[in-house]
Amino acid sequence: MDKFSLFVPNFLPFKEYFVPEKNIACSGCGLALAIRQTYKALEAVIEKAEWVKAGDGKLFAKLFDKSPMGNSEPSLLRIKKPGGELIICFDNEAGGSLEEAVKKAMPAIAVAEGFRYVATACPSYPFDLYEKVKKGLEAEGKAYIHILCPCPVAWQFDPELTVKIGRWAVESRTFPLYEVGSASAYHLTGTTAKPRPLADYLKPQYRFAEISEQQIADLTTTVESDYKKLTDKIQPE
Amino acid sequence: MESTAKFTKSMVECSLLDKELGRPFKPGARREATPEWDKDKCVRCGLCYVYCPDGAIYRAEDGFFEADTDKCKGCGICHRECWFGVISMVKED
Repeated sequence: MDKFSLFVPNFLPFKEYFVPEKNIACSGCGLALAIRQTYKALEAVIEKAEWVKAGDGKLFAKLFDKSPMGNSEPSLLRIKKPGGELIICFDNEAGGSLEEAVKKAMPAIAVAEGFRYVATACPSYPFDLYEKVKKGLEAEGKAYIHILCPCPVAWQFDPELTVKIGRWAVESRTFPLYEVGSASAYHLTGTTAKPRPLADYLKPQYRFAEISEQQIADLTTTVESDYKKLTDKIQPE
Repeated sequence: MESTAKFTKSMVECSLLDKELGRPFKPGARREATPEWDKDKCVRCGLCYVYCPDGAIYRAEDGFFEADTDKCKGCGICHRECWFGVISMVKED
């Protein structure tokens, strides 16, 4: 029946685990998208999880510490597994400051704390996210995954652009995608030869409407030095 | 200093559970525009399905993708992400 052999959802499970009937997420929510993709990767865990009955009789896997749609604090997903724990941080930068948009210290802290698998991911790259959550589940010991979720309400952009903004964050090297396996071996996933200008990422967001050219130039040097620090950690093979 | 407001839990519950105010919640109720697929151009790749935050897009029996109007919030991500420009957002009256 299919004319084309490439059918994208074949790479992901077709079953939906996180689509609540009373989904109160805003239109174009990056957090909802990230949770939906994460739950698909956690298929094996969810089958065994504690289930909670919602108002209309639909079942939810009880995995979150707090409300998954909480806006004020990053939601943490903690999954116990043999020999450790998988912690997934859904970061929507609700603080809204310029420093927060650039610096991401949490993965570095997790590496220093001795986590066996640390990764950054973004729902704009769904298959990358899927693979990383799978690897985090299979890793021996503690694992940490930091997911950047663009928020149209807090960042003030058109909900159409949620996926694009996440992609621009990665392409401008503000939020580089990488993973740290055992023995602190860094590995970049999805590199771009030529970075996108930082203004492309910041300008569509109305929260940075009053940013000056000088500030963008300063931030570009910060981003570049951070990216260089990251690439220096990669050992030549 | 003691608070003078004396709202008990039952009072709040009463006002919230008033049946005149209450109505069933549907996520897609406040949608501005609905996605529509141009079936002549669509290659049925399924990217719109992967990127939908609300899981509103499903595969119909003929292999094409459609949006569940009860769940779709009209964000327009599918319209942006479609490689072939097949999806257009149609405004509702």
